[in-house]
Amino acid sequence: MTFIKKHIPLALCFIFGVLTLGSYYVPNKASENYLEVMNKWENIVAGFAFLLGLFSLFFSHYNKIRRKVDGWGYSLFVFVGFLIMVIPAITSKGIQMDGATLTGLGWNYRFLFNALSGTMFSVLAFYIVSTAYRAFRIKSPQAGVLFAAAFILIVGKVPLGQIMWEKTLGWTHVGISQIVQWLMEVPVVAGRRGIMMGLAIGGIVTGLKIIFGIERQYMGKD
Amino acid sequence: MSETWMIFGGWVAAGLTLFLFSFLYKDNPFFKATEHLYLGAGMGWVFQTVLYQTWIPKVWEPLRAGDFYVLIPTVLGLSLVTQFFPRISWVSRYGFTFIMGYGSGLVIPLTLSTDFLKQIGGTISPFLVSEVSRATFWPLLNGAIVAAGFVCVLVYFFFSVEHKGAIKKASTVGIYFLMLYFGAAFGNTVMGRFSLLYGRFDDLYKYSGAKYFYATHVILAALVLYFVISHFTSRKKEAEEEAA
Repeated sequence: MTFIKKHIPLALCFIFGVLTLGSYYVPNKASENYLEVMNKWENIVAGFAFLLGLFSLFFSHYNKIRRKVDGWGYSLFVFVGFLIMVIPAITSKGIQMDGATLTGLGWNYRFLFNALSGTMFSVLAFYIVSTAYRAFRIKSPQAGVLFAAAFILIVGKVPLGQIMWEKTLGWTHVGISQIVQWLMEVPVVAGRRGIMMGLAIGGIVTGLKIIFGIERQYMGKD
Repeated sequence: MSETWMIFGGWVAAGLTLFLFSFLYKDNPFFKATEHLYLGAGMGWVFQTVLYQTWIPKVWEPLRAGDFYVLIPTVLGLSLVTQFFPRISWVSRYGFTFIMGYGSGLVIPLTLSTDFLKQIGGTISPFLVSEVSRATFWPLLNGAIVAAGFVCVLVYFFFSVEHKGAIKKASTVGIYFLMLYFGAAFGNTVMGRFSLLYGRFDDLYKYSGAKYFYATHVILAALVLYFVISHFTSRKKEAEEEAA
């Protein structure tokens, strides 16, 4: 049974990993076809992987309603929200615009989903600022540099900041937008490249460990 | 969609926006209900995307056309759902190993070419003979700053040698470059969130017009009224509890 439960899945991981890796470096018709088919397969498997999250969410909220835990009524809104989005999507066949007019799905996207997601993320603007104000202390030169970079970038991107800069430091004949551009194109690139390099090395090593079966935590317990 | 539906949409959007913003004052049932609605609507949105962009065109239609090879990824995908049944949850390993194996095989060469080699190429390219012969002083200086900063950041992350002497100095310079990057990333995030905020305020302003029957004003007034009433009723309840 260990063979079916453990060895075959690990062998599959190795075979798919090596074939995909090899296909990238051996450009011919067969490898191109392989990558095309695998890309389609991956899309399909990833589509079903979404069901894991969906069922997990539904089970969690269904149990809250069934046990009538505190605030169980709110869990009903999860199902309401899901149905409000899915039923018009099915009746509209997944199309948002029918000519120049909105379909049910398009209406939902514009007035419901867009409003909800936009507001949910914009609320974070208040929290980022208030948290930074409360938690950020310039106690070291490094923290000072971090603050200066953030401050210059924020000031440089709003018209009020640009006006203030012109009034106070206009005599230098260096615009704040020029400083922001230099900041983004020179020192920030150096910092980002270092981090990207670290991520790349980490990603490649982890990928190799997965292909060769050294890293297998994703398989869960036996 | 008729004009009535568009006006109704304005009321829905204004209401949901204000309900979510109401959390800035304090936690309340309107926020909680809208938060859960967002969770469900988000899942619904992804569901319909997967349905109409994956399951129907890539599974259902090929199957109807007699292409039974799509059953292989379908079975692998469905195997993932066995996670919910502990006795057969091991079956899900087949789906996971496919995703991990294929994903790793794909990520390694892409990361190697984009995040690794191209970054090194971008750092040394200003110093190639063809570039140097054409370049002026400032681009060369900027290129030197990027190269020096990049090397210093790498030194900061290099733990195989003890950080003392020149290595320590280089790693300290690396920290400053990292701080500049983090500061810029923070500033960009703040500005991104604020641009979303302006968008929501713009919509609220639009829905406050006569065309939408002053949706924003009416809903905002109703919310304020709710908070005032809830404030006094909760105080009354607290006083009664104290007296008891």
